[in-house]
Amino acid sequence: MDEKRNELKKIIMDTKTLPTLPGVINKLNSLSENDKSSVQEMAKIVSSDQVLSARILRLANSPSYGFYRVSTISNAMILLGVNVVKSLALSSSIFEIMEKNSVGLWEHSLGVGVAANLIARRLALPECEEISTAALLHDIGKVIVSLKCSEAEAQIRRTIRDQQVYMWEAEREVIDTDHAEIGGWLAKSWFLPDKLSEPIAFHHNVAQSENHRIKTAVVHIADVLIKASGFGNSGDCYVPQIQKIAWDVLKLNDQILAEVVEELEDKLVEVKNFSLELQGPDVPTS
Amino acid sequence: MSQPVRISVISFDPQLAFHLQLRLQSKGYQATTMSGVDGVLGACYSDPPDLLIFDLSSDPAACTNIITTLRSDSFFSAIPIIGLVAAIDSDSFEWEACPLDDFIHLPINFSELFCRISLSLSRIKRIFDNNPLSRLPGNTSIQRAIEDAIGKNVAVCYVDINHFKPYNDIYGFSHGDEVLRMLSRIMFNAVRDSGGGFSGHIGGDDFVFILPRERAEAVCQTIITYFDQIVLDMFDEETKARGYYYGVNRKGEGEQIPLLSVSIGVVPMESTHIQHYAKVAEVAAELKKLAKDSIGSRYVIDHRKS
Repeated sequence: MDEKRNELKKIIMDTKTLPTLPGVINKLNSLSENDKSSVQEMAKIVSSDQVLSARILRLANSPSYGFYRVSTISNAMILLGVNVVKSLALSSSIFEIMEKNSVGLWEHSLGVGVAANLIARRLALPECEEISTAALLHDIGKVIVSLKCSEAEAQIRRTIRDQQVYMWEAEREVIDTDHAEIGGWLAKSWFLPDKLSEPIAFHHNVAQSENHRIKTAVVHIADVLIKASGFGNSGDCYVPQIQKIAWDVLKLNDQILAEVVEELEDKLVEVKNFSLELQGPDVPTS
Repeated sequence: MSQPVRISVISFDPQLAFHLQLRLQSKGYQATTMSGVDGVLGACYSDPPDLLIFDLSSDPAACTNIITTLRSDSFFSAIPIIGLVAAIDSDSFEWEACPLDDFIHLPINFSELFCRISLSLSRIKRIFDNNPLSRLPGNTSIQRAIEDAIGKNVAVCYVDINHFKPYNDIYGFSHGDEVLRMLSRIMFNAVRDSGGGFSGHIGGDDFVFILPRERAEAVCQTIITYFDQIVLDMFDEETKARGYYYGVNRKGEGEQIPLLSVSIGVVPMESTHIQHYAKVAEVAAELKKLAKDSIGSRYVIDHRKS
């Protein structure tokens, strides 16, 4: 069984880039035609996409630059500069473009990012942007599974359907690891800071998060809320329970949660429109 | 053992690229190839090589474009680039438009290529005036840039970090260096994104940038905003919330030390009382003293007319 894990680990060590949605690239492309495209505008688009965000954070944290703890997209963009980010984003358009059927996971990731931001702000937690970035990236492991182990992925889907289990359980059975652990490996091998890699690795098991448990708890709850809302498609058809330790560490109560859910519903309409704008046919293709 | 020198080969001719790669590897270089120009910039940015070999024979305009872009970011301007040019084209090639370090004729004479690689790598070490930490141009280039600026409608802006020494003492050199690298990137990008200018690193926590007078204030404000935002990453939650940490001041007394901030002294070059290089630094030093008298990041402009 260890073989599969080691094989996957090796694949991750060799992974330098991942595919992203053509709509995102097109949108960035149309921005970069316009010289006034500011850091904020680009940051908004980049931070809607888990793969681009991960690539840009990887570059900002790479040893050749000598920064060791860049954990937000806006800081990464300030340090790298608009030109470098543009070139990096556009250079991905040629080789790797994600398939249309990945839109569900893309929307799920974006939704969890938005939900985590709402929760973090409602609870007045420090480092809200770091929390939303971790939430955006939490399922990056699924991108790797679907890209690098497509046969296993089909089997995982069958297992989920036949045995009616959660995705991470099916993954454990088929590849002896799960997307959270894989995402954690990737974050580590891309030198992303702990405050991002821990929530990614432990969003299904908050108790294992030792140094950044609050951030992990927010990502976990945001994931559950988005699954419950039916927004996007994470690959799971069942809504997991909120883990007690997450509830306790954030000192949540029913009233706060109800307020968050209400606010989230409004927000998701906006997010859906943004997603449609990116996927839609009216996006310029050149 | 030291790391092998990493060379990227870019050519439209996959056979040539493959052959070059083999020959380079046999000499102990770590070589990667790219056929075509798409994605070259992205690849160089995400994994900068030590030297580039660029085949200019099939699309000189596109290649020149990429080389110019790469050169325009000081962080990558120190990578030596050797161009491959067909012998018959070399008379008509626009050498001045293409910022290459060296060239070699096609078909390649490999023993000559290996000599030129060694020469390029040693030359870059010898003449490179840039600061090794920030990779920004150093004092020779700064002096030249300031002398060029005297009398023109530009501003020479001196930047330094407030309370940098106690930070370095308490958090250590590696964190201090990271702060310097951050400030250099923030400054370089702010100057470039505003429309271009000169950025240099005097040494330690002293930096300089030069740009048209009318853009100076906006760029100072951008640098201050971004620095104040990013520098928070260098402190833990508790220190951030408190706004200071405990350390020892220059007199050796224990005291509360505020978080890092920047001071910028802006010297407009049109003013008649500035006639030479030394005067610029002198005026800037006075301005920075003024800027440092207040708490937090600030810029101060020299308004004296005569």
